[in-house]
Amino acid sequence: MGGAVAAELVKIWTLPAAAATALGTALAAALLTGVVAASADGIDAVAAVLAVVPPLQVGPVLLGVLIVASEYSGTQARTTLTAVPDRTVALVGKTTAFLVAVTATSAASCAAGLVVARVVAGGTASPSPVAGAAAHLALIGLLAFALALLLRALVPALVGALGTLLVVPPMLASVTEHARWLPDRAGSALYLPDSAAVLAPGVGLLVLVGWITVVGGAAAWAFLLRDA
Amino acid sequence: MKATDTVLAELRKSATLPATAVAAGIAVLGCAGIALLNAVHVRDAPAAGRADLVGYTAPAEAVFSAAPLGAVGAVVLGVTAVSSEYAINSPGAGGGRQVLATLTAIPRRPELLVAKALVVALLVAATAAVALPVSLAIVHAVAGPVAADGLLARSVGAGIYWMLTALMAMAVTVFARGGVLPLIVLITNSSLVSVSVLLAKVTPLAFWLPDLAGMRLFAGDLVVGADRALDAPTGGLVMAAWTAALLAAAAAVLVRRDA
Repeated sequence: MGGAVAAELVKIWTLPAAAATALGTALAAALLTGVVAASADGIDAVAAVLAVVPPLQVGPVLLGVLIVASEYSGTQARTTLTAVPDRTVALVGKTTAFLVAVTATSAASCAAGLVVARVVAGGTASPSPVAGAAAHLALIGLLAFALALLLRALVPALVGALGTLLVVPPMLASVTEHARWLPDRAGSALYLPDSAAVLAPGVGLLVLVGWITVVGGAAAWAFLLRDA
Repeated sequence: MKATDTVLAELRKSATLPATAVAAGIAVLGCAGIALLNAVHVRDAPAAGRADLVGYTAPAEAVFSAAPLGAVGAVVLGVTAVSSEYAINSPGAGGGRQVLATLTAIPRRPELLVAKALVVALLVAATAAVALPVSLAIVHAVAGPVAADGLLARSVGAGIYWMLTALMAMAVTVFARGGVLPLIVLITNSSLVSVSVLLAKVTPLAFWLPDLAGMRLFAGDLVVGADRALDAPTGGLVMAAWTAALLAAAAAVLVRRDA
């Protein structure tokens, strides 16, 4: 198992697009937070970071989709399963390695944003919601990873994840309160605990984990049973 | 091949892509679904004494607030029309790219780009011609008569907005020679947290960016920032100018670069 995780980490580390995504996410976090902190008068540094979380979701989503889809764009998936024929081990190894990568990316991005916002806008609010934002970003990445594993292709997974996370929620939220059950709205309870009409932090986390369980369960079932 | 053959060949290639069906599905079903939700909301909110919770009560807004979803469909259509050419085939089948066959059949590259642009515009127009009337009919049936005032102009405007969006997506994909980057940039920018909207908070120059310039083609007064946006004719022309410039740049790149 340790070998499988290490192998998957090496694959992620040596995938240029994945490294570029991680770096790009951190840079975008710093840049966007700087713009928000500079443009809104009297905004707290923490609030500036939280304001850019929705667009930042693109980073973890792309990371998750790329890491899976790169296996299926050629014959790498077959090589992987030849090297690690036990599919449970391969799946757990890949998921663990991805969690390491996406957690590092999310934490680094939120930290970079916070540092820039503190320099630009100052502020003394407790930075604990930023940790919640990092957790939210990592979980969103995991959801996209599961979706890509289920669909085994880059474009459908990317369009599906970005549409569900970025395009649909604002539209639905304007017409129905049930938009709070969507993954990004539910997860936002992790970093916006006091916003009205959303779920309590614990419930929001549970709903997001529920989404991941359903999509991830289907993906795992498909990965274990389907021809490679 | 004659020019019409080129267009027909491109039409057949684009129309038979699974992604094109998905894109049309997003635009038609997405718009109809959001329009239905909006219409139910517009109908029920005043009766429930919660009119304060609705941003608008006019049935027409129920149709056009779904238009950004059609733009997402247009982006998918425009991007995949080009990115499918550059997608690498399965190594078991030679690992080739369709673009080599395309350029062998149609060596005149500007003609190829014009044909592709025509096909993308045609497919988006066909999608809009289904999506918007269906949405209008749904809203009409659920929330009552839609005011005819400016309806035709806004419907045509939404169709033009989608078409220009798809053409810009196509041009950007010619630069990128792959679907990932254009899809991310353009879908993210179709959402309400778009980079252009963020920039508009810093500088009014952001209203000259392609997506915000054209927003008054369909968006009513209630959309955030609509009061500061360019008016429909000016904005539409600005957006069309962006599209023309991007397509010209795409043609230059396509002609000069190795496939």
